[in-house]
Amino acid sequence: MPDVFNSHKQVESVEQNSSKKQIEVKKPEKKFKTPEDMDRHELPGHNHNPFAAYCYYPDHVNFVNADPEEKVVLLLRRHPITNLSWISIAFLMVIAPSFFVLIAPFSLLPPGFQVVLTILWYLIVTAFILEEFLSWFFHVNIVTDERIIEVDFINLIYREVTDANIDQIQDVTVVVGGAPRTFFRYGNVVIQTASEIPKIEFEAIPNPDAVARVLRELRIEEEQEKLEGRVR
Amino acid sequence: MEAISSFTPTVLVAIKIALWLFLILYILFAGIVIKQVRVMTETLQVGLEKSIRTLAVIHFIVSVFVFILSLIIL
Repeated sequence: MPDVFNSHKQVESVEQNSSKKQIEVKKPEKKFKTPEDMDRHELPGHNHNPFAAYCYYPDHVNFVNADPEEKVVLLLRRHPITNLSWISIAFLMVIAPSFFVLIAPFSLLPPGFQVVLTILWYLIVTAFILEEFLSWFFHVNIVTDERIIEVDFINLIYREVTDANIDQIQDVTVVVGGAPRTFFRYGNVVIQTASEIPKIEFEAIPNPDAVARVLRELRIEEEQEKLEGRVR
Repeated sequence: MEAISSFTPTVLVAIKIALWLFLILYILFAGIVIKQVRVMTETLQVGLEKSIRTLAVIHFIVSVFVFILSLIIL
């Protein structure tokens, strides 16, 4: 039916609906839900495990120099499977004292010396496990709505915290190579930035593709905020 | 038989001193671990800070205990 036969109100409502549709179409489609879209606890990838290697919108994460308004979007660690090598070494170290008696100098020592040496050995094993665990647990990559942060403890007394703003990200590369990485779905995410530190690398993290996508969406969001003048 | 003859009282005393020195160094290491854990938990808080700090303190206490034990046993 031609528009001549429709009332003005009808035509206006039709026009409004079509313009609404156009606006809806223009909005970029989000692949990842955010707490604005649904309850934080129902988000895919969200969990309450403090040992989790991938946590989307974690509940109680705070870090040094965090802005009060900054929201943590991702908390990442190396994939748990990467701990297998040191766990295997630790296991061998734990069972090693059973073979000490086979070593001539040890078996010829007085019993008191043997006991102290064995305890000492287990202390060394404890130190090894503690150090490896701490270096895994506290070596994290954090993605917030404003920046990306890499926290690294290289040794006992050396701490390195690197960060770059989301809008300084120039290029994100996902590197997944080798059978274990493909099988357990973990890899590196190399982020080229325009900041003083040109490259930040998230090493051996689970779901690297998902992380790259989240970073892409955050960059788009940041660009939109800039265009709308909502930059913090 | 050569090994038996090598463990003369002088050698045993040397081993004893070496063990005590090592344990003293280990106690220092355990103290550094406590400090390191404090720095780590200040840098990142995920809700396990108390447990990890307790673990580091227990580690330190155990190392002191082993040193005392070695003084008694050796």
